[in-house]
Amino acid sequence: MAAVGKHHVIIGGGISGSQAADTLRTLDPDSRITLITLSRLPVYNRYDLPQVFRGRQDWRDFLVQPPEYYRRSRISLRRATRVANVDATRRIITLAHNEELRYDTLLVASGGRGYLPEELAEFLPLLDSFTSFEDAVTVRRRLPEGGHVIMIGGDMIGLDLARTMVETGHRVTLVAGPQTFWPHRLEAGERKQFLAVLAKMGMQVVESEAHGNIETIEPGAKGMPARRIVFGDNTDLRADSIMAFCGLVPSVEFMLGSGVDIERGLLVSRSLRTTNEAIYAAGDVCQIWDQDEKRYRFYYGWKNVRAMGELAARNIVGGDEPWSSNQDESLRVQENGSLYSPFWEYA
Amino acid sequence: MTRPAKETPSTDIQVAICGSAGEGTIAAGDILRSALAEAGYRIISFDTYPPEIRGFGKCIARLRVTTEQAYSLKQQSDVLIALNDEHAIPHIGEVRDFGAVIYDGHSIAKLPEGGHVSGHLRAGQLPYPVSLRELCEKATGGNRSRNIVALGFLAGVYQLPKDAFLRIITKKFGKKPGVAEQNQAAFETGYTVGEAAFRLDDVVFGAPKRDAATRDVVMINGNAATVRGAVDAGIDCFFGYPITPATSIMERLASEMPKHGKRLLQTEDEISAIAATIGAGYTGARAATATSGPGLSLMQEMLGLGVIAEVPSVVFVSQRGGPSTGMPTKTEQSDLSAAVHGGHGDAQKIVIAPTNVEGCYRCGGKAFEMAEAYQTPVVVLLDLYLSNRYETVQFGARPPFEANCSKPRAKAAPGEPYRRFALTEDFVSPRALPGEPGAMHTITGLEHNELGRPNDQGDMHERMSKKRHEKLKAALKHPDFTHCKRFGDEGRIKVGMLAWGSTFGECLEAMFKARAEGIPCAAMKVVMLSPFPVEPVSAFMDDCDVVLVPEVNYEGQFARLIQGELGRPVVSLARVPGVPLPVDEILETIRRLAASGPRDAARLVRAA
Ligand SMILES: Cc1cc2nc3c(=O)[nH]c(=O)nc-3n(C[C@H](O)[C@H](O)[C@H](O)COP(=O)(O)OP(=O)(O)OC[C@H]3O[C@@H](n4cnc5c(N)ncnc54)[C@H](O)[C@@H]3O)c2cc1C
Repeated sequence: MAAVGKHHVIIGGGISGSQAADTLRTLDPDSRITLITLSRLPVYNRYDLPQVFRGRQDWRDFLVQPPEYYRRSRISLRRATRVANVDATRRIITLAHNEELRYDTLLVASGGRGYLPEELAEFLPLLDSFTSFEDAVTVRRRLPEGGHVIMIGGDMIGLDLARTMVETGHRVTLVAGPQTFWPHRLEAGERKQFLAVLAKMGMQVVESEAHGNIETIEPGAKGMPARRIVFGDNTDLRADSIMAFCGLVPSVEFMLGSGVDIERGLLVSRSLRTTNEAIYAAGDVCQIWDQDEKRYRFYYGWKNVRAMGELAARNIVGGDEPWSSNQDESLRVQENGSLYSPFWEYA
Repeated sequence: MTRPAKETPSTDIQVAICGSAGEGTIAAGDILRSALAEAGYRIISFDTYPPEIRGFGKCIARLRVTTEQAYSLKQQSDVLIALNDEHAIPHIGEVRDFGAVIYDGHSIAKLPEGGHVSGHLRAGQLPYPVSLRELCEKATGGNRSRNIVALGFLAGVYQLPKDAFLRIITKKFGKKPGVAEQNQAAFETGYTVGEAAFRLDDVVFGAPKRDAATRDVVMINGNAATVRGAVDAGIDCFFGYPITPATSIMERLASEMPKHGKRLLQTEDEISAIAATIGAGYTGARAATATSGPGLSLMQEMLGLGVIAEVPSVVFVSQRGGPSTGMPTKTEQSDLSAAVHGGHGDAQKIVIAPTNVEGCYRCGGKAFEMAEAYQTPVVVLLDLYLSNRYETVQFGARPPFEANCSKPRAKAAPGEPYRRFALTEDFVSPRALPGEPGAMHTITGLEHNELGRPNDQGDMHERMSKKRHEKLKAALKHPDFTHCKRFGDEGRIKVGMLAWGSTFGECLEAMFKARAEGIPCAAMKVVMLSPFPVEPVSAFMDDCDVVLVPEVNYEGQFARLIQGELGRPVVSLARVPGVPLPVDEILETIRRLAASGPRDAARLVRAA
């Protein structure tokens, strides 16, 4: 029988966590690896989700690895499973269904969930979500052909979806606000220019502030589109669906009692270790110390989160390599006049 | 030859429900199969449960739901409902890839690592965590109906006809005040949640078939069908002693027989039961008993009396894992030798074994005809799998059984004594019942002459032994009864299967698969095991390069019976897993035999 080594537990079956699992398997063949995800599906590529509008609606088409991979790689994939609590002293994770797991090393790669500005929180039930495969298909099914979608915010995740929806014959109205183009940091004057590009790409652009901000969101009247949004200046918009894309908040609730340092995300050293020696973090959930800016910062984008997963795995099994990113972060206009973001790129 | 039904049903879904005894696993399975049968689906279902009543032990209800009739359970389930983590975990592997696992998403007890169902799913299986306990408490104020919430969830996810479920729930729980309402609420709650759940698996329930063929279909298990056959054949009295898995025959008869003015007595043991049955048979009553292997052993001596005294009687034997107490809640086909050859003396009797639930009905009634017509005990061999297996069966408008098969007594010349054991051309003697004027006679366990008087002369024993054996041959032509039947390819075939009892369904399914793979294959079911239908079986064997005999016993009892009767080689696939033989195992053996060709097959036969 093969010797069983350490138990590496990874919270998060996103790009970062799944990459870490794969690297750990290669570097530490005798270890036990458990990968925990909220999703009911094996790891899939969320960057691909807008493709549901192009007719891809079978979840098998989105998988990063085929189902057999997990058995072959001896990765115990715990789906539909929520981590409720991490006891860093006893190295015990409690799952929401009341099961306890012991770990030797823990990688937190729980990503982030959509941020919703406080003033919109009460309207949450009227907003369509687009964070999982199930959400994506549900929205696609609910929208009529050529249906109208209002997108509040318009971060780069949302704009990726918006351009796909426009290209597939839907009407998109962008209600622009402070989170538009997040996580790009724009120079003065760029915002206006880029909004004009979006309009040229086929989106209707409405500056929220110019209309006195969003006052209310309500269900559409009978015989009217399903949703209505009313601004402070009493103007309104009607649509079949309203979605908010206002950036991400790191998913760290279950780490609150663990004793590791948290600012917005989990604070990690350049080797991606948290303030607890057995706990690492990678991906959208972590803030890495930036020597130049002298602050902890987030690194977004497929290339970054994947590289973080890989680096964390290497350091978990004894490495001590520092984080460095060569992700291009500049938003620009392409020769054909459309917007281009390096954050839209993934392999 | 005709082939049964279509080979690829358009709905072919197997659902397994797994829980602990007392959690309502079997009840949930019962509601599910009844509702789906009412909706117009065909069902085969089989429950396994522990010998204990409540509190521990694993229960599993499995049901296969099809558009056309299927013949066995599938090896892999499409959906598993886990009501209990500990018991369900070992069964998660039986769910196919892209099938669904429905389980309680929360445990109130702290679970150790690996203690929850979610930790055991393969990546290709789709999880459906549901807050069963919480939903149940909200809907009913307690958690007794978790099983029904789960059932509602299943029905909601797959959009199964809700009304049929609610009707069955009312029927099942309607007698206890408030209980039906509570379970309806539990079902509705589960249904609403299920309806809203996002479907990720690829399990598809096609529309049920609603035509004349499905309208009068009844959902019934083997023991109940046997009882229905017995009642339709006019059973007059029953004597029995409880034993798993035959008990429900007596229980059901206890409620049925009084409705028809008939009598049932629970005796002090199996010996009394068979003695009383033979006594009643002697008086002309259609009488029966029911037991399992250990009871059959106890009855053997009395059966000898039935044979020599030529008294009609019917013994239903539902086999279970043996010997002795063995595995009382596990299925087996290991009482064949005891039924055919058991007992003392040359006491051949009729032994028949149905292969499906409808067959239980026919054998349940025909056994009385045969007992009467050939004046002998008739053993009907069931087994736990068949006794407890539910199938959808369509019964004819009128029972297909003759009310009286006794050979009547011709008018005797005045002064001529009545010869109860007259040696006739067909070896069956005209039968008078005790008390008939002018027909006074003796019956005894001693060898006797035609008048029934004791006679131990060698030539008389020769003649009477011959009479008792020869008369049974007519049973091989007993009217309106399928003694054996061939299915599958006509003419020359590579692999032929000879099967009996419940295992025939698995053989048929394996045969369908083998034929789909291009292997020329046929299967013959043999219902009449004693006397043995030598001719048709031999003709079938002539067509086969190799004959495979799958059965659930260790010794290969049927294979030995065939070899004894025909002196021809067969390949025996005899196993005792406590459950039906896996179709895939039979199929694999067929493949192996087909690939080996006739010469190698002969070698394999010898090796076997
Ligand atoms: C529709 C969509 C499109 C996107 N497109 C782009 C794009 O074009 N460009 C771009 O840069 N980014 C895009 N993103 C964002 C991108 O997906 C993330 O930045 C990236 O996936 C982060 O990877 P991660 O591994 O850190 O975390 P995630 O991919 O967010 O994965 C987090 C994992 O943690 C699990 N998890 C969270 N909490 C718990 C818990 N309590 N218990 C157990 N498991 C938990 C989740 O189930 C998930 O498996 C998109 C996101 C979405 C939803």
